[in-house]
Parts: sequence; structure tokens; C-alpha cells
Amino acid sequence: MTGRGPAVEVRDISVVYRLARNRTTSIQEFAIRMAKRQIEYEDLWALRDVSFRLEAGEILGVIGANGAGKSTLMKVVARVLPPARGRIVVRGRVAPMIELGAGFHPDLTGLENLVLYGTILGNDPRTMRRHAMEIADWAELRDFLDVPIRSYSSGMVARLGFAVATWGHPDVVLVDEVFAVGDERFRARSLERFEELLGEGAAVLLVSHALDSISRVAHRAIWLDRGRVRATGDPTEIVRAYASAVTSGPSTLALDGRT
Amino acid sequence: MSVRESALGMPELPSEGQLPPEPQVYDSAVRIPPLVGELRNMWEYRRLIRLLVTRDVLLRYKRSLLGVWWTLLNPLLTTAVLWLVFSGLFHFRIGGGGVPFVVYLLSGVIVVLCFQQAVEAVATSIVLNYAVLTKVYVPPEVFSVSAGLAAAVNLGLGTIPLVLLQLAMGVGIPWTVVLLPLPVVALLAFTIGAGLAVASIAVRFPDMLDFNRVILVIIGYMTPTFYPLSIVPRGFRHVIEANPVFHDLVFFRGLVYEGVLPSWQTCVWAFGSGFVALAAGLWLFARSWRTAVVMM
Repeated sequence: MTGRGPAVEVRDISVVYRLARNRTTSIQEFAIRMAKRQIEYEDLWALRDVSFRLEAGEILGVIGANGAGKSTLMKVVARVLPPARGRIVVRGRVAPMIELGAGFHPDLTGLENLVLYGTILGNDPRTMRRHAMEIADWAELRDFLDVPIRSYSSGMVARLGFAVATWGHPDVVLVDEVFAVGDERFRARSLERFEELLGEGAAVLLVSHALDSISRVAHRAIWLDRGRVRATGDPTEIVRAYASAVTSGPSTLALDGRT
Repeated sequence: MSVRESALGMPELPSEGQLPPEPQVYDSAVRIPPLVGELRNMWEYRRLIRLLVTRDVLLRYKRSLLGVWWTLLNPLLTTAVLWLVFSGLFHFRIGGGGVPFVVYLLSGVIVVLCFQQAVEAVATSIVLNYAVLTKVYVPPEVFSVSAGLAAAVNLGLGTIPLVLLQLAMGVGIPWTVVLLPLPVVALLAFTIGAGLAVASIAVRFPDMLDFNRVILVIIGYMTPTFYPLSIVPRGFRHVIEANPVFHDLVFFRGLVYEGVLPSWQTCVWAFGSGFVALAAGLWLFARSWRTAVVMM
């Protein structure tokens, strides 16, 4: 994917949604309030005029408080959520690694899940079957492929999810706190795998609350604050600026909203 | 289609109808007309759909003693119970061209069960796959269509004991059975649309799925599975006739054992309700889905 422009190009995107002010969770309550015209809506901006570029072979770290728009940004790049305004161009195949194993079905065996999840990610099921052993070997699960996932440990599930998601030369990899799972060995091996992907020219968008890991692995960082880009640039500097803003405790950062 | 970009070196927008070049490029500025987009998604994800349908058909009873056989046994057992109650206890006899009550009953049961299971499956397919759908790009309708198709496959399987029963009871099998896919398609469209409409509320209010079960039971009773339309008081008939599943069932029964082609009214009702439900369901769902994705 080289010579075709950046892997991800985001320009002035905004995501807005309308939220009922008094959040109701049951239909009766909603219907009663609707009848009484008691529902007030407010427009919330999850992202506002966000722009950045992510080049092939680059790791871009995203930091910000809860509710700053990090997850929304990931959804926009994963093309799950079209932006209300602005434009995004993503070149190549996206591999989201968010909640590894979310696409797994407990009653299916490891192999069945591997094929199904790989197909959900856009691969051909035949290709997945052909390379199943290779993928299972990376995850060290060759002997467990015929066992239903429900008897896997959480580490095994994470390994299988990671192996499937990173298989097949993805061009853009989305990582959301993925290193929080698994043991030391798994973490070391996943980092190794990332190096490989970067070497192949993949671009990585990394969301993390672990500030030290952002300043260690990312090439650049952006700081999101209530949906807007507050700063962008060298990860060490951005992390330092963010950390000092957090400790000096302005009320804007203390907002603990939805994620 | 009005975005024109040069400063960032974004690609020129492909002209209408032209597919993006390989490797795939996602450009949010390229707007795809609603129905065209859905159809293209179905085609692009056909392999996933096939995988999901196979999974649904085989998995439904995966951890059970009889496995897939339940798909056949379920309507047969339901029919047996209804037959005992209505034929044994209430002495129901349905004329309708002299078809035995049991054939009338089984044909009704498989169609209504298919409808009920499919609406439920389509609606829950979205809720069950929430975690994936909000993170990985897969058109959500892929899961709904797969759930609907799986129910249609079950209906197809359920037709086998029905025609065997027809042979055993001396009803025979008319040539019109070759047209059976038509009412199934109409029912499927209605089902997927209704399921998506339910899902569009259920992503916001989970208790919609409970309401849905009650509604499905009501629609089930509003469909003449075990009673003939003739016993319904005149004043109430239009209520039954407003039920699209009724028309699909008339369509289905006509082809499977009566050997008659449907009237044009039946055709209009069956296909019209299917198309309207599908369009409305897709529209409602697209509206609520966006909000659901941002909030999750």
C-alpha cells in the first residue's frame, strides 16, 4: 500500500448524536414520557473537527480522558460509524483488535470460530481453513482447535483472537488496550508480531490509558479532549502535557463520561 | 457527492456506479444509494452469510441430544399436540377441498413457526452480535438476513414431512409445489423487515424483545393454523386478513396441497407486505443503529 497516500486520512470529522436527557431504559417509561412530551433531547458532539493522517508503517497513539472520543474515533476509522461531517479515507484492510474474542461463539470449536471470525474480518472462509493450522500454531492452540471455546481460558481466547485479527497482512491495525490481556509471554509475542506488521507497512492506531506505553512505542500522538484534538505531535511531549494537565486537575479532564 | 478535495491529496471520487479500485479504499464521502448499498453488501458478504446460515441451522440444537432432528421434530410435535386437542377433543373437521385436518394443521404450523422463529432470530441477531457489530465493519443486515435464511431453510426441511404426510394421507403432491419458493420469499422479506423493526427498538430498549414474543404469539393466533377462516365471525375477518402471514399461508397452502395458483389479491398482499416491511425495517434500523453505535 505504498505510494498511494497515507493509510488513514481524517479531515474535519465530527460525530454528533442526540441523546434523551432523562435516559429511560424501558419502553413503558419512554412511551409515557413521550405522551407527556417530557422528553428533552440534547445534541452531544462525540468528535468535533478532528483531523489527522496516519502513514503506512507508523504508530499513532491516541490519549485522552474517558469520554474524550477515543472509542468513537476508533469506530469511525473501523468504518462502523460514518462521520456526520468531514471526510475519512482508509486505504486497505482494517483489522480491529478491540475486545479480543468479541466475535466468538462459545458453542463453536476453536477452528469454527477461527474461520467465522476471519470471515467477519473480511477474509475468504476457504483461505481461513487452509491457513488454520498456521494461525493456531502462532496462538499455541493447535491441540485445542476441536474443543468448544467455552472451555478455553481467557488467555487462550485472547491469543486466538489476536492471531486471527493480525493474520493476512492488514493495512491498518486498530488497537484498544489490547496489551491489558494475557501473560508476559503473550505480551512479548504480540509486540513482536506488531513489529512484523509495521515492517510489512501496516499502520497502527493505538488507544491506551497506559501513557508510558504510548510514549515508548508510538511515533506520534494525538490528545483528544471532549471530542476535539487538543494537541498533536511527539508522543513524549504530548504525554507530558496531558499528564501535567491531569494532575493540575482542570474540571474539563475530570469528566468521566461514557467510553 | 459534492465533496471535492485536493489539498490533502484525497482521491478523486469515483464516478457513480464504479467500484473502488483494489486495494479497497473506504471513503466516507462516497454515498451509496440505500437499497443498492444493501444489495451490494449482501453480495460482498455472501460467503459470510453462507457460513452464518450453516452455523445457525446446525448450531441451534448443538448441545442437545437429538441435534438437527429437532428442526423436524419441533413442528411435528406441535402439530401432534394441536391435533389431539382440536381433532380429538373438539372434533374439528376441515373441509376445504377435503384435505385432512392433520395436513391443514401441519402446513399452518411450519409456516407460523418459521415466521415466529425468524422474527425472533433476526431481532436477537443484532443484540447478540452487538459487541462485534460496533467494532468490526460488517453490515449488520448480514446477520439479520442470515438469521432469516436459516429459518427459511428450516421451513424447507419442515416441508419434507409435510409432503410425506400428504402422500400417506392420499392427498398427493400437486405440480404447484415447484412454486413454493415464492411464498417463502414473500414471508422471508416480511420477516426480515419485521425483525429489523423490532431490533431497531431493541437496541435502545432491551425489553422490546419480550414485547416481541407476546406480539408473535398474537400474530400466531391471528393466523388460521388450526381453525378454518370460515369459523371466524364476519366482523373479525378483516382483522385476520390484515395479517400478512395469513396471506403467505394461503399462498403456501394453495401451492403445497391444493394445487391452485394464488389469486392476485393474495399475491399483492404477500409480496406487497414483504416489500413494505423490508423497506420500513431497513429504514428504521439504519436510523436507530447509528445512535446505538455511538453510545456503545
